[in-house]
Amino acid sequence: MEDYTKFRLKSRDEIVPLLEGKDNLFVVACNKCFKEFENADEPERGEFEKIAAEQGKKITGCVNVDFLCNKTTTQNKLELPTGTENVAVISCGLGIQTVADLSDMPVYAAADSVKSYDGHHGMALTTVRCDGCGQCYLNLTGGICPIVDCSKSLVNGQCGGSKNFKCEVSKDKDCAWDKIHERLAAQGRAAEILNVPVQLRDHSKVNFKFIDDYVKSIREKRFEGYYGGIHPSEYKELAEFFPLKTFPAPDNVVIPLSQHAGAPAQAIVAAGDTVKTGQKIGEAGGFISSTIHSSVSGTVTAVEERLHPTTGVQVMSVVIKSDGKDELHESVKPVQNWESLSVDEIADIVREKGIVGMGGAGFPTAVKLKSPKPIDTVLLNGCECEPLLTCDHRVMLEFADDVIFGLKVLIKTTGAEKGMIVIEDNKHDAIELLEKKTADIPNIGIVVAKTKYPQGAEKMLIKRALGKSVPSGALPLDVGVVVSNVSTVKAVSDAIQKGMPLIERAVTVTGPYIKNPGNYMVKVGTPVQSLIDHCGGLTSDDVTIKLGGPMMGFEIENFDVPMIKGTNGIIAIEPDVSEASDCIKCGRCADVCPMELLPLYYPKLAMAQDWTGANDKSVRDCMECGCCEFICSSKIPLRYSIKQCKKGVIEQAQKEGK
Amino acid sequence: MLITVLKSKEDIECVAKGKTICVTCEGCKEVHFPEVEAIELVKELNPTGNVITEYVCNPDNLKVQLAKHMDKLNAADTVLVFSCGVGVQTVSDNFRDKKVYAACDTYPLPGGQGVTPLEFDCEQCGECYLNGTGGICPITACSKSLVNGQCGGCKDGKCEVDKEMDCGWERIYKRLEKLGLLDEMRYPAKLRNFNLMYEESK
Repeated sequence: MEDYTKFRLKSRDEIVPLLEGKDNLFVVACNKCFKEFENADEPERGEFEKIAAEQGKKITGCVNVDFLCNKTTTQNKLELPTGTENVAVISCGLGIQTVADLSDMPVYAAADSVKSYDGHHGMALTTVRCDGCGQCYLNLTGGICPIVDCSKSLVNGQCGGSKNFKCEVSKDKDCAWDKIHERLAAQGRAAEILNVPVQLRDHSKVNFKFIDDYVKSIREKRFEGYYGGIHPSEYKELAEFFPLKTFPAPDNVVIPLSQHAGAPAQAIVAAGDTVKTGQKIGEAGGFISSTIHSSVSGTVTAVEERLHPTTGVQVMSVVIKSDGKDELHESVKPVQNWESLSVDEIADIVREKGIVGMGGAGFPTAVKLKSPKPIDTVLLNGCECEPLLTCDHRVMLEFADDVIFGLKVLIKTTGAEKGMIVIEDNKHDAIELLEKKTADIPNIGIVVAKTKYPQGAEKMLIKRALGKSVPSGALPLDVGVVVSNVSTVKAVSDAIQKGMPLIERAVTVTGPYIKNPGNYMVKVGTPVQSLIDHCGGLTSDDVTIKLGGPMMGFEIENFDVPMIKGTNGIIAIEPDVSEASDCIKCGRCADVCPMELLPLYYPKLAMAQDWTGANDKSVRDCMECGCCEFICSSKIPLRYSIKQCKKGVIEQAQKEGK
Repeated sequence: MLITVLKSKEDIECVAKGKTICVTCEGCKEVHFPEVEAIELVKELNPTGNVITEYVCNPDNLKVQLAKHMDKLNAADTVLVFSCGVGVQTVSDNFRDKKVYAACDTYPLPGGQGVTPLEFDCEQCGECYLNGTGGICPITACSKSLVNGQCGGCKDGKCEVDKEMDCGWERIYKRLEKLGLLDEMRYPAKLRNFNLMYEESK
């Protein structure tokens, strides 16, 4: 693997006078980048410490940092012990300047940056280079760059000094203009270059001002709301303008008893029983669990194990044959005077109506309502930051009043002072509508967030909307916040205003390979296949079907699985053909990780089964948003390793606990 | 690292002749790639295909990503690449007998190492000056890359070359003053050895 040396330790002759009169050193060393990734520290720090020790210097502490130039992640690691008077940095110039900027102590460079390659390369470690001249010549030269490949960077042809195709400046280098001529001649374009006047190089094109402005705008984007994040292509236009349609009730529904976080529900019906729409068929199996209701009226044909859509294992499910009448159960009736009910009574209704978080995780909403800590804000997640999905957008547009009603219920129940609906700026119509509708509600506000994935993640949402950071291992309620999805509060509203349990939800069926994308209100338990068929089927055989969005959705192979309470989308997308190659330590994963972690370590740690190391690298803070995997220039399936690490960390903790 | 800017529409239309297929690289999109403009332009050009891929600068990855589209690519007269210069060269190397054109101009991005767009720049001068300057680089923070102090053209702390830029040497002075290290400035200036910059690369 190519290895670009970025810096080397200054020589002993330089370090000794540098250390003169300076004591109590703290040593910071960068682990380097764009190199073969090894899980071991670079040797320079040891060498420096040896020289310092020989000079009788006291070292107060030392630290090795990955991507020292990344200020956000670096500042968390620079805790200078008391007694430190000087900081010595072994890094390229970028790292040294970053530390100097962060530290109140004098910072000294113990290394020199080395220009190991001319120009700037792309992401991959290749020999192909680009000098960033700002006026690409490749169109004239058959794709061979005269700026970097010609020693003299000539733009008007051969200098005349080339002999036997070799450059006169460096004899082992091919003459670039010979190569250009050869390539153009092979394509029958040799005359082309003769007829085109020489394009003079305008060196003023690449100027400080231009680049400075650019960098500023990029940095602003990167720190917008919270650190990192990505902007995948949205493709929301495929489905966003299709209003929600009621999906015809299927003949058979398969309702898994585990559609939520926590213990599965216990079936309270048996094969042969007659059930009605909205009738309870599963009782909550614990505090963190949820009830399950029938989404159709008809006859229970089986209570048996069926394939679960997202976990991929067999779980107990209730299979119901619909009689097509959709008769409502008598328990489905509006709650009278909800405002006079106590917190516990409302929480019981929410619990009894089987309402769980509908953003995907399926955490029982009732548990959130009975927070043991004081809550000051209820945040509604209307970001829908996943590409392609548009069902929450449609819910906000078509059920705005229900969403606001549900939010009011949550504010009252949690005792919060205010509620906020956070919407990404790509949903102008929803923002406009909800702003109008909430204008005269003093304690409900709309926050418009810039479109950026994963905006809808709890911790990002809180940071963006309230500027609060949820500490590692803590929950939103620890900072006095309850976060809920817009679809979830719509369900809360239905439960109170209509008495309807959570038996149907908005689903987006979309993707470049779905013939007729659309948004539907779908009964829980409807097979995925029938939804795909209803939308005209797939337009290609070679597609990946996911439940959820392209970033965090679950890939399914068996389309007979039912959709559940947490299924917000069925998408047909291009299969991923990439192959993983070795990590080149480009640092892009650390650059986009919204939790400010170093994802590149997890594959190494998982391979070595080093669960202590994984825990030290805060793997449990990872929410598996997939930004690192999306951005990885080596296409490493990072989430797979992260899951392994998490499992390992938990198992190890359990073992040690016993 | 690099930043890319679309070439003018006229320039691109000049080269996108015959059966054209576009290859769009979105690998560095988060750093900078004119995504929206590129999509618009591709629509207007109406090519025979638009292959959206990422990190085309990685030759192995490029082959994998293009494998599925080889029929279309082989049938095309012209391949128009929306990427930085490295990407265009890598694609061009893959299709040596085809016209491969660049749709973007490429600019350098400060911070040759790491990919974070930084507020700092390092020119890899090979003889780090940061020790005498309180950690502010005179090579990159001063428009003139002076190593022996202020030029005298600075007004109200702003550089005379770019009025919006802070004078690097004024920042250095202030930083050293804050650190109580003003004596550092009394040392004789270290002359810059331009040889060092290139020595190592050979």
